[in-house]
Amino acid sequence: MLSRTHFIYISACVAAFSPSCLLSFSVAAMQVTEAFKHAFLKQMLLGFQASAVSTNSMGIQERKNAIKLSADVAMAVFRGSRKWTRGLIAGLSEKQQNRSFLQLILGEQYERRLMKPCYSSWKIPRCRTIVRRSLRVCCRRQKKKKNQSGVLARTLVEKRTQQLKRLVPGGESMDGLSLLDETLDYVLSLRAQVDLMQSLLTTVESSKLRSHSKRTLTERKASYVGK
Amino acid sequence: MGPARCSGVGSGNSGAYTTEIAESLRFEEEIHSIVHPSLDSSPAAGGSFTALLGLPANQAVELLHETGPSEAPGSAAAPSPTGELWRLRLGEHAAGPLHLPLGCSPTFPSNAALVERAARFSVFAAEDSPALSSGGGPSPRLKAEPLDSDSPPLLPIPTEKTQRPAKRKECEKSKAKGPAKKSKSAEENTAAAAKETAAENTDGEKLPYVHVRARRGQATDSHSLAERARREKINARMKLLQELVPGCSKITGTALVLDEIINHVQSLQRQVEFLSMRLAAVNPRIDFGGLDSFLSAECGPLATANGRGGVALDPALWSSHPVTANGARWLPQPQIRHVDVWPTQQSSTAWTRDGPAHPHALLNPGASLVGYDPASSVLLNSNQLKTEL
Repeated sequence: MLSRTHFIYISACVAAFSPSCLLSFSVAAMQVTEAFKHAFLKQMLLGFQASAVSTNSMGIQERKNAIKLSADVAMAVFRGSRKWTRGLIAGLSEKQQNRSFLQLILGEQYERRLMKPCYSSWKIPRCRTIVRRSLRVCCRRQKKKKNQSGVLARTLVEKRTQQLKRLVPGGESMDGLSLLDETLDYVLSLRAQVDLMQSLLTTVESSKLRSHSKRTLTERKASYVGK
Repeated sequence: MGPARCSGVGSGNSGAYTTEIAESLRFEEEIHSIVHPSLDSSPAAGGSFTALLGLPANQAVELLHETGPSEAPGSAAAPSPTGELWRLRLGEHAAGPLHLPLGCSPTFPSNAALVERAARFSVFAAEDSPALSSGGGPSPRLKAEPLDSDSPPLLPIPTEKTQRPAKRKECEKSKAKGPAKKSKSAEENTAAAAKETAAENTDGEKLPYVHVRARRGQATDSHSLAERARREKINARMKLLQELVPGCSKITGTALVLDEIINHVQSLQRQVEFLSMRLAAVNPRIDFGGLDSFLSAECGPLATANGRGGVALDPALWSSHPVTANGARWLPQPQIRHVDVWPTQQSSTAWTRDGPAHPHALLNPGASLVGYDPASSVLLNSNQLKTEL
């Protein structure tokens, strides 16, 4: 839980912020480290600031989208260069309106990442003949030993894998092995993101409550005095 | 049974290294990373360290390291046949050293033990690899260490370690040639020995053909070996994911575990949406650059929209404030900023679900909130919202 002083400290540091800090995860504890969380939060606040220019005129939906966008970008930037982060940024840049924001946040990194193959919309190029040939080989091998239950299990797993590929950003062009890798990473980052946003929310709300209570008190006093 | 040749998953080099040398290489690297923290410790070093400890948890640490995951961690996780005990016992203090970002010198808990073990096993390394000669203090000392072929008694860590020294025993005999004699293999526990070799040698070290001993009663052609290696990797990662996702460890079967993982990811994504919605609702004028400005922003816009009535959008805001007649005066004002919410947002349907809890909430914006029970509605509201989203 962030204290108010902590918040102010963070805001002071936002200007001197550098996106290329080292991160460390710890899966043993199944939690991200504090350093990562701090850095993530910094980046998120920066993102909020950048997108908050027009919050006055935004409806709640746009605000929500802007917040979510900056949170996601913060998460992606912080995790560094992973397949899912690239996929995420690629997915986000597909929408025209996000591009300026992304450019602002990422700076020159954005152009560089755009130059890289866009994973989300990039299918592994496969020659048809080769695929057919390999399928034939596989079928021939399977004919020798047909395992009915295995086939069923395999189709179930296949379905799930497809679903997971759709969930994880940039997942379509990953093979099963790296998919699991990226899922692991992605789950950790998501968890960190949720925790951070939660604590941010509670901090903001509690500070608001405090301010409201103060104001109520003064108003009540004023009303008493008035009476 | 002829020697099974595995050209090293990912390593394509040819040379004269044996498996033992490969492992001692890794030991050297680890020691170097301790001794010379300024050196860029390659993920391979860390990866092999985790392999040695046989801790899948640490494998994931390496996996997620900044310098980019190599194949090493995944493959290092593969040879963890009976690693459960070790995972639990050594998890904590093995996780410790690998916590640090690269560039810091990791503090290995059992430095002395490591060095000693490395000393035993790196004898061959010293005589062979030029790469190793870049070592510091440890290497001459290692050279001087007598070769102890009966390494099991030296090793504090059983199970996996016993397999490796046994393998080294056989490699000693062959001296960078093919695998050991059949008799040796018959004695030793070949359960995961072969897989370890194949797996570990995928970190980017210069390794030649890896001579793998296949398991008993299993095919030895390269296809099935590669298949097996792949499957082992996948199983290791699935295990990790199982640990990560709560409530998944009891489930057996890949499909069900994947189901759980998918549900978890979906719920996390939904939570992010929900939280961002709440953040958006709570502070429309927040200037995240500083709380001071944020506090002043609260008081600012109140004057502009004084005429409208409003309803508290987020009951959490008012949870600690009993609604009294006096309080009603200031209640409408902070609510005002939420007014623009109602006509525009489509998630107002979410709020309509809370109808029974907030009888006055949506339908009569101007109504007072006297009949409002903040405490219970907070819970109800958040639950309903969660299900909605």
